[in-house]
Order: sequence, then structure tokens, then C-alpha cells
Amino acid sequence: MPSFSFTVNGRRRTVQADADTPLLWILRDTLGLRGTKYGCGVGICGACTVLEGKESVRSCQTTVTEAAGKTFTTIEGLSADGNHPCQRAWIDEDVSQCGYCQAGFIMETCALLARKPHPNDADIDQALDGHVCRCGTYSRMRRAVHRAAKTT
Amino acid sequence: MTTRRAFLKTSVVAGAALVVGVTWDGELFAIDKPSAAFIPNGWIRIEPTGKTILTIGKSEMGQGVRTSLAMILADELDADWSGVELKQASPGPNFKRLGTGGSWSIGGSWTPLRNAAAAARTMLVDAAAARWGVDRATCTTSGGAVRHEASGRKLTYGELTANAAKLPVPDKPVLKAMSALTLVGTPQSRRDAQDIVIGNAGYGIDAHVPGMVYASIERGKKVKHLDSAAARRVTGVIDVVTVPSGVAIIGENTWAAMKGRHSLVVEWDDASTFNSDDHMKALQAAAAAKEKVTVTRSEGSIAETLTGIDATYEYPFNVHAPVEPMNCLASVRDGKCELWVPTQAPNRVQERVAAALGIKPDDVQVNVTLLGGGFGRRLNADYAVEAAQVARAVGKPVQVLWTRKDDMAHGHFHMAAVHKMWGAMEDGKPAAWRHTYATTYHNVNGPPEPEELKDLAAFYREISWGVFDIPYVIPAIETSFVDVETPSISIGPWRSVYAASSVFARESFIDELAHAAKRDPLEFRLSLLDGAKDVFKVGSLTIDRSRLRRVLKLAAEKSGWGTPLPEGRVRGLACNVYDGETHTAYVAEVSVPKTPQHGLGIVVHRIVAAIDCGVVVNPRGIAQQVESGAVWALSNLMNQITFANGRAQQTSYTDFPVLRMSDCPTVIETYLVPSHGEQPLGIGEPVVPPVIPAVLNAVFAATGKRIRRLPMRLDA
Repeated sequence: MPSFSFTVNGRRRTVQADADTPLLWILRDTLGLRGTKYGCGVGICGACTVLEGKESVRSCQTTVTEAAGKTFTTIEGLSADGNHPCQRAWIDEDVSQCGYCQAGFIMETCALLARKPHPNDADIDQALDGHVCRCGTYSRMRRAVHRAAKTT
Repeated sequence: MTTRRAFLKTSVVAGAALVVGVTWDGELFAIDKPSAAFIPNGWIRIEPTGKTILTIGKSEMGQGVRTSLAMILADELDADWSGVELKQASPGPNFKRLGTGGSWSIGGSWTPLRNAAAAARTMLVDAAAARWGVDRATCTTSGGAVRHEASGRKLTYGELTANAAKLPVPDKPVLKAMSALTLVGTPQSRRDAQDIVIGNAGYGIDAHVPGMVYASIERGKKVKHLDSAAARRVTGVIDVVTVPSGVAIIGENTWAAMKGRHSLVVEWDDASTFNSDDHMKALQAAAAAKEKVTVTRSEGSIAETLTGIDATYEYPFNVHAPVEPMNCLASVRDGKCELWVPTQAPNRVQERVAAALGIKPDDVQVNVTLLGGGFGRRLNADYAVEAAQVARAVGKPVQVLWTRKDDMAHGHFHMAAVHKMWGAMEDGKPAAWRHTYATTYHNVNGPPEPEELKDLAAFYREISWGVFDIPYVIPAIETSFVDVETPSISIGPWRSVYAASSVFARESFIDELAHAAKRDPLEFRLSLLDGAKDVFKVGSLTIDRSRLRRVLKLAAEKSGWGTPLPEGRVRGLACNVYDGETHTAYVAEVSVPKTPQHGLGIVVHRIVAAIDCGVVVNPRGIAQQVESGAVWALSNLMNQITFANGRAQQTSYTDFPVLRMSDCPTVIETYLVPSHGEQPLGIGEPVVPPVIPAVLNAVFAATGKRIRRLPMRLDA
């Protein structure tokens, strides 16, 4: 099997994998970074979102071939101590219910705040509309994004 | 040394319709190990270091039980809340009927958990009083310690474990007075919040053991033709095995299993001709016919001379679609099985897996993970049973992960329903009400027991919450049920069980009658909740009209009912008593744009919920559930499952749209009737049924268009 190298959470990783393997399964099954979730496999639920540089990507739609040479951050790498402004804001606004989809939303919010440090509600809607939360935590997430923006 | 056993039991709430068993055995026993931890019962363990571990017997799926149940235990125990650790219960000698459903986690756990914690506290106080040689009545407890104020002495629970463990477990410990509860009723944040935001919360999909492999299953009833050669050639595919639910492709990783499945050639012999359009027609015909109708409530007599208003409400099939699809990690070795499974029904999983493997339930270890959503789908054991069967066939630990498409295709669907409504008005008041409800009951656990069918009306009433328990005072009421079965389609539990469609029909139609009488919908409802006994029993349920009036008035006051709104905005109202327990009233503030901007097509600006759920344990958790219920219900305005030739036609969140951020109401407000009584009631399900009628009553007020069929189509 071919081998691919990329950086995840500041660490250089080399994996052997089938060339079309989605990054999602490399992260979860090979590297044991299970904070990134599977929800739909076709890029429409957002649960698998990670950062490539400062931009959000759907790891289920990014093959390991495309990932080679790039730099990724997953929920596990967002902060050393769980004190990233988005993580704090999520806790302070009591956003999570089942919590399954939340890593994807948090990573998307990081990407949003990187390109637009003070988003309005419409910006937030647009950025997060690609994600699904069946527990319905959206209204608290909106507040959490604003809170994170104030502390970033 | 004394070892005593006491059994704490709470009663069952419902019959066959509510399939989860909610009887709870909590066994109390003392452990004869003086130097070890103090373990007075299955719920509490205190280490000599003071570390306090509370066992949570309900599955966490977002409803906050790992916080609220711990609050009940910690408060009654007087433990140090910030320091308690949580452990998830597994089926075993202490836990014979674990199950999470029916919005009964808090209500059903309240007394058993308080008794368990009070027993532990009593023993700790007795141990301290004996050490000090003082009267136990002069001792107090707080923050994980026993104190003797008169002498200023204090012993932590950790320091008392060895002494307390030697004492008998009291059968009937004295509970704290309600006024002495200090944690219950305070807003608390989720205990799991930190783990969730750092990616460390363990869901079923995250379970892993050394040497595990991964499986993806192509499901069907009976294989007609199978060719697995191409699948076996896919890189990383280890094996292809047939199990009763289908053909499993085993991979070194998830992707290999999924990719191998794409190369599998299989034809199925499944002859279902089920078609949802035909089914809806059958439901309509059944609701309109007089045959096979079972009356579930009859009061007064409906005069043949009355003329009335007719309306038919239609509710489609739906599916849970939790973001974490069904999955289970199973290992079968030496006649024993271990499972890591996101389940609402751990004991059912244990029993069904044992039966499928032909081993004893005691030889099935069920580890309950966090659930990435449950909503009723995870009350059944199908996905655990097939994982165990695959694990046995493969001889290695294997995780079976369903794809999103699998999760929709093999759902345990929420039933479709048709409600035929008829109401007659005299002098601006309803004189007669007739509600005929045609639907299908849950069949995922097989047909009802003959015993359950002895009293057919009682059996159908369990399916008819929201129909026969109409709270309004009307001189003549007749409600009835017609069963239209769907043998080839699995129908299973749902968030709010059967009530969502029924309350949609009832609260919309009462609104129709209010408008027909040119009366304000709030004033109309309040008038119909007056003039008869406030508390009345109907079937097995108790309705309290005074509580319903109170929440209606509270919702009206907080929403500004009757006051002007910005141009284009209107309000709608609905109320309900869920399962004879939690009383709710909702006001929705809505506008209907000429050009729909998002998936929903309307803008729900604000939802105001007034809730009476008895004793309030965690008000913050209740507010979260109100928000959750609103989003859950609004999704049902947008989506449905349809069937052709027995197969669900929707495959993902594209053709089965769910509410997203831009359609979520900006403001969802929760107002609680102050905590009262001695018993907390449910919340996760009661917050669903009133949402749709409140919103659609507002849509009518805005447009004059009465939506009687879901999903909502404004242009139809």
C-alpha cells in the first residue's frame, strides 16, 4: 500500500493506506483520533469537519492522497487544556446535549472566526448551515459563537 | 456482620405501547470489607480517600441524565457535588431492568435514588455519631462530611467508610425534607460538557479494543444471489460473512469494509409491495369508515341533528436519523460475549444477544457508551444482535457501523397517522367533538401479548395520548382508534411516542373551532378548561385543568399574547398534558415570507414555552430540552419518509432535510411553573407535541391557510 505523510495537531504522521481512503477513517481508525465523527459520509452533515490550515474541510470528502503534505487540526488539537475560546464558549453557554456533532460545529466556528473575527447572525447561519444537530442546540451555538468572538 | 437486602421498586408507567421497561430494581447490600470502599448499594461507592462514585442507570443521549440523576444522588447524600465521579451502569445483579425512555428517567429514578442516597447518608451519620459518642440527631451532613456543630468536629465521608460499611443498610431511610434539598432545583451545567468539547466523550462509534476489525452490512431479508469475489479483492477486506440480517463485509478498517461493500453483488428475495401513498389512502379510508373502530372515550351523546365542521389531518412516516448512526462493537469468545453499544435498553440488548447466540444472559457483558442521539431508535437491540452474530462468525472483535443510508433504510419508523376530526358548535361553544385516529402501533418487538389485547380500548388508549385525553370541557366527546397494520415496515418508539401526530390534530382543530366561533384561541381554550372538575381521570391518565390554565396564562403573559407585533408577525398557541403528567403551553411567533428563504419556508422568530413538570431538578437541563423539542418538531414540518416496494426512499439529510441553523428560532424561552409537589415529571418528550400546532396555528393566523398535512406545503 502507498504511504502518505501529513501533519495532524502539530505532529508529522505517515500512514500506509489505500489511496482513496477518506482522511476521516485515517484519523479515527489509524491514528485513534476519534473526536472527529462520522455522520453521513457524503459531506452534508459536517460531523467530520477538521481544519486544514485555518480553513474547514470535510474529512469524509478529503482522501488521504489529497491530505498528503497538508496540515490539519482536529478537535483534540485545538488546545492543550480545553481552554480554546470556542471550547470555553461552548461550555459557558451550555451548548452540548448529546454532543456528537459538536466537534464539527466547533471546528467550523474556528474557521469562521479566523476569516471573520466578529461575525453577525447571518454570517454564523451561513457558516454553520452545512452542519446537522438533531438535538437542536443551534440557538445556544449562535450565542457561543458570539461569545467566542469576544474572547478570541 | 449483617448483610441485608432490600429492594426498592417503582411502578411501571405504561403497557405494551411503551416498550421500555421502567421498573427498577436497586438492591441494597452491605459489603463486608472494613478497609475497602463503602458501597452501600449499586448506586454509591465512597473510597477511603473520599472519592465518591455515583452510578448512572440511564443512558445519556443528550437529555442530561448523567447530570440530573447525579444531582439527585449527590443532594440526598450531601456529597461534594463538584468532586463526584460518574460510572455508567451495566446489566448485572444490581441492574436488571435498565432502560431509558418514556420521559421517565427523572420521575422513575427520583424515589429509588433518594432512598439509596439517604440510606448511605444515614449509615455515614451513624458511623460518625458512634465514633464521637454523640446522639446522631446532633450531627449534620454537607459537602461530603458529617459535622458535629456543638463540638466543632468533622469527619469526611472518606474517613468514615470503614465504619459505615459495617453497619446495616436501613430499609426505610429518612429522606431530606424537600426544603432541605440544596442542589435539586438549581441550574447545573452538564457533567460531560468538557469531555465533549475536547473530543474525549466516548460514543458507541468510538469504542475500540485490540485486534478489532470493522464491518459494513448489506441488509436484506433473504439472499437470492450472492457473489462476493469482487468484494474480497478490495484492499483491506478480510472476509465476507452472511448473518441473518444480511451480508457483512469485514475490513481491516471502516473504509475497507465500506468499499468492499460497493463491490458486493447481491440480489434479495424480498417481496414487499408496501407503498406509503397506498397506506395513506388506507388510513384515510379506515378513519372515515365505521368498521373496526374501537371507542377509546365516550361522554355525553352526540345528537344526530347537530351539524359540524369536518377536517382530516395527515401525518407521514418519519425516521429518527440521529447523527451517530447505529453501531455496535462486539466480541464473542469462549461462549461469552462483550458489547460496547450506544443503547437505551441495555438489558434488552443482553437478553436478545444471549438468545441469538444461545448463551446465558449473564454471559453477555453490555458496556453502555454515550449515545449520539437516541430519540427512541436505540430502544431496540437489532444492531447489537447482528454485531454479535458477525463477531461470532469472524472470531474477532468487530465493530458494525451502519452508513447514513443504512440508518434510514432500516429505521424503526415513526408511524404515519390520519386523524378525522368533527366538531359541532352551538352558541359559539363546542357542543360535540369526534376524533377518529387511524394508525399503526409499534411492531418492532413483535405482536402484542394476548393479555394486552383483552381490553382493546385500554390497549388503544396507550397509543392514543393526545386523542382520548382531550382536556377540554365539551358536552359530548367520542374518540376512537382504528388499527391499520404495516407488517412489512418496522414501526418503533419515537420521541413523544404517539403523541406528536395526535396533538397536532387536536390542537389545530380546536383552533379551527375557535376561529369558526370568531373567538380568541387563548380565551377559547381557557373557557373550555373551566366549568367542570379541574382534576379528572380519563383511562389511566389524570388531567388537571387548573395546571393547564396556569401554563396557558403563563405562556400568554410571557409571550405578550394579544399585544401588537411587528408587521407580518403573528402568534399561534397550543397546549397539552403529556401522558397525564407534564402540562405544557406554547406560543409561537411566526412570519410567512412571500419567498421562502430557507428549508423551512417560514420564519419562527420566537417560541415561548410554559412548563409544569412538578419538582424541577435541573432548570438548565429543562431549558435545553425545550429548545431541543422545538427543533425536533420543526424538522417534522420539513421531512418525511416515503416507501415504494417496501423500501424507504430517503437516504440522507438531503432528501430527508432536518432543521439547520438558519431556520432555528432565534429565541426559545422556557418558563417553569415554580417547583412544586413531591415528584418530578418528564420533559424530553412533553416538549415535542405542542410545537407543531402552535406554529401552524400561527401560519393560519398569518395566511388564512390551514395546514392539515405534513410535511408542510404552503403552495399546495
